[in-house]
Amino acid sequence: MKDKLFTRREFLKDSSAAAVGTALYLNLPDALFAAADGKSRVVLIRDENVLDEKNRVRYEVIRDMLDTAVVRLLDAPDAAAAWKKLVRPDDVVGIKTNSWNYLPTPAELERCISERVQGAGVPEKNISIRDRGVLSDPIFKSATALINTRPMRAHHWAGVGTLLKNYILFVPRPSDYHPDSCADLASIWKMPLVKGKTRLNILVMLTPLFHGVGPHNYSPQYVWAYKGLLAGIDPVAVDSVGLRIIQAKRKAFFGDDRPLNPPAKHIALADTRHHLGTADPARIELIKLGWQEDLLI
Amino acid sequence: MENQQPDVTGLLPAPAGGWQAELPDQFFDRHNLYDYIDGGAELYLSYGFAALANRTYSRPGQPDIILDIFDMGDSRNAFGVFSHARETIDTTFGQGSQYNPGLLLFWKDRYFISLLGSPVTNESQKFMFALAREIEKSIPQTGELPALLSLLPQQSLVKESVKFFHHYIWLNTYHFIADHNLLHINEKTDAVLAKYADGAGRALLLLLNYRDAQTADSARTDFIREYLPEYSGNGAVQLEDSTWADCRQRGSLLIIVLNASGAGITGGLIREVRQKAEAPQNQQILK
Repeated sequence: MKDKLFTRREFLKDSSAAAVGTALYLNLPDALFAAADGKSRVVLIRDENVLDEKNRVRYEVIRDMLDTAVVRLLDAPDAAAAWKKLVRPDDVVGIKTNSWNYLPTPAELERCISERVQGAGVPEKNISIRDRGVLSDPIFKSATALINTRPMRAHHWAGVGTLLKNYILFVPRPSDYHPDSCADLASIWKMPLVKGKTRLNILVMLTPLFHGVGPHNYSPQYVWAYKGLLAGIDPVAVDSVGLRIIQAKRKAFFGDDRPLNPPAKHIALADTRHHLGTADPARIELIKLGWQEDLLI
Repeated sequence: MENQQPDVTGLLPAPAGGWQAELPDQFFDRHNLYDYIDGGAELYLSYGFAALANRTYSRPGQPDIILDIFDMGDSRNAFGVFSHARETIDTTFGQGSQYNPGLLLFWKDRYFISLLGSPVTNESQKFMFALAREIEKSIPQTGELPALLSLLPQQSLVKESVKFFHHYIWLNTYHFIADHNLLHINEKTDAVLAKYADGAGRALLLLLNYRDAQTADSARTDFIREYLPEYSGNGAVQLEDSTWADCRQRGSLLIIVLNASGAGITGGLIREVRQKAEAPQNQQILK
């Protein structure tokens, strides 16, 4: 079946679509990761003290944020119980991070995740933390479980760098997924190396990049200390929430409704074309914890 | 003349003032630009990118300064790629520059130059500006702007908003229009997008110059069918969000006004573009 193409007129004519905004959609499938009530749960947690005066991450604070988010996400009594729901002692766990020079996954967060996975009984030798090189990493090649984490940032060609996009290094030729502004990134998630293995997605919103310029798509002017993490099982839902925060920040900063350029269509298409999860805010249960100032959502 | 233009590798300034080029220089062409800016190469390729030279300058206690010099093959395309980052009108360097702390972008002739050093210090900024000045001097001539810019009405034009491109994806820069190539834009299409603002009045003007009138007509037909089905050809249409839109064709040129605050500003912009297109000095623009 041919995918539906969208213009602004269709959003204007359809009030429900207009309320959703520029990128989120109609004809929703049942989300793969939806909870019993049909909604995908996403936890947004923020802590005013997670960064020091130089935007360095405070380990103890981010550890507590992660624990609180995972407990609430899974309705577990405590962090240890929550992580035991996510991984088993016999799992081989790949923690897929992002090493982009200007905004990498914080080492402190990588450490927290690894410690919690070990706390659930997985031996350290069965855990690998990597971005580039996952295709040649023996742990990733034999992984039974993946944990996906990266910062959200404006991206040259995908609109935003997302959890969905973070799996592009699981394919030998990432540029194969660039056509149509990375529309089909979600198809990577159906490849045998990753399909069905992702237990947790953590989108780092500590200092997101909301606008990109220049060949490195980076200017410190367009980074702000949001001091948040987004956690969920459904990567499409988590990315969808992150995108709304980025769009809200752009509107606040530029003073007009400046759309991402190019639009982050791969998030919506992960829902409507690839049925990987839900991008529709009406079908996302967003739980907001912690610091509430300038929440933007 | 072509042979007077310096090769991109010859534009890399030598290290000075305690700064060193410790890492090997890098050079890229159309075939391997992905190796350098994976995911970002499409922007430059869509503008006819020809070559890139990269050098990193290092000094103890200072952020690395990454210099990228892009040869875009043509000054119009160098302007186009620069126009994507432009938020203000500034000609401190080259034919137009944009400085945010830690990032300097500018263009001159067929070259687009980026200098990135973050987090910025007084020393790094000083050296970055010195590099920019040296590169600027090494490029002997200035380049032409896209001819299509001469059709833009000047009154109420938000000058820093003007974008020039050949790829449909940039249509959505200010205003989501469509998630597909509704207007048949390709590398043979010159596109200009510009904002107009005058008090409460506002509009977005899109000029598209196709390779021929037939292509323009085909794009116009599809645009009206998908975006303005109620359009009768007799004036602007008011949309559901109370904004106004219009679309007119003259030969290879499509003139589209979107997101306008009234029918008056819409008609005024179209009238003035048509007058400019008919002026003798601009008649070679249309095909």
